[in-house]
Amino acid sequence: MPNEGAVQVTLEASPDEIYDIELEHSLLEANEKLAIENRALLDRHGITAIDFMGAIGSGKTTLITKLVEKLKDKFGVAVFNGDATTSNDADAIARQNVPVVQIATINGCHLDANLVGKGLKKIPLENLKMIFIENIGNLICPAEFPLGSKARVVVVSVTEGPWMVRKHPHMFLGAQVVVINKIDLAEAMEVSVDQLIADVHALKPDIKVIPTSCKRGTGPDEVVETLLAI
Amino acid sequence: MHEFSIASGLVEKLLDFAEKNHDKKIVEVRIAIGEFTQIEEEQLSFCYESIITEMPIAGSRLVIEPVLGKVACPHCSYAGPPKYWEGVLTGAPVATLQCPKCGKAAVATEGEECAIRSVRFKPNEIAGTGP
Repeated sequence: MPNEGAVQVTLEASPDEIYDIELEHSLLEANEKLAIENRALLDRHGITAIDFMGAIGSGKTTLITKLVEKLKDKFGVAVFNGDATTSNDADAIARQNVPVVQIATINGCHLDANLVGKGLKKIPLENLKMIFIENIGNLICPAEFPLGSKARVVVVSVTEGPWMVRKHPHMFLGAQVVVINKIDLAEAMEVSVDQLIADVHALKPDIKVIPTSCKRGTGPDEVVETLLAI
Repeated sequence: MHEFSIASGLVEKLLDFAEKNHDKKIVEVRIAIGEFTQIEEEQLSFCYESIITEMPIAGSRLVIEPVLGKVACPHCSYAGPPKYWEGVLTGAPVATLQCPKCGKAAVATEGEECAIRSVRFKPNEIAGTGP
């Protein structure tokens, strides 16, 4: 009998023994899932959300204000302002008489899809066509946290010096549009706008780069055109 | 400091594992971090160690496996390692999304990971049976 004398052994591991188990689990998955939910909600309402990232003082709020000025009479526009503590930016946008959601992250260094999802519940979405989301002024952290927007825009300005792109390459890899702001100050800053454009394209050749001077009104029209085509 | 958010997510997942597996003590966790992410390994390790000090997973070791980037080019069908931007300031060369073959825009196929790969554990000593 082939089974006669079959031995059944129970092997108990000694406490010194260690074992591995595979546990494939994305650490960014929770945020990514919420971002997909946000996107689905926006799509259902026919809303295009655009996420603006960039350093403090690069001109994100000024650019968004210009875009709102140009678009608010054409269709419904709302703005989400991420700011660690103050409501300065939200107050500036609110003067445009469009819905504004201020997202205070307190000590958080980036917006995440959860906060944006909560924001989307705070305003009526029915008549909106575009939502501009201003991320926290930071060129590192927001890159890893998609929000559900259709496109990500990075705003840099020449006053940040000539190395912004080289110092923060990852921020640009996930963006579709780069705005190089304050070009009216390029000469005084001795910063080459052409070099910044070349740096962006070295990282990602198909990214759209738009030089602007929001203060002088140069460029926002092209930003509007680009975002409407997205 | 988005590393703190990522470390918190990692710890949450491990505590969940520990909760469901009372007989196992986690001694090591291996995670993969891709080259195209902007996650700083040292900061992530520091956050991890700081968070776990008084938790059931205290003393466990975080091992980070870097994952090199790979790209695919829709224009010339290239698939393989990305083009590196050499001499970017003083740091290490930066992986780009420029196709190394035709120079047009490529897409990342590997190197965007931020994931737990495996957990190493040992049987937990059950109270009363230990020495």
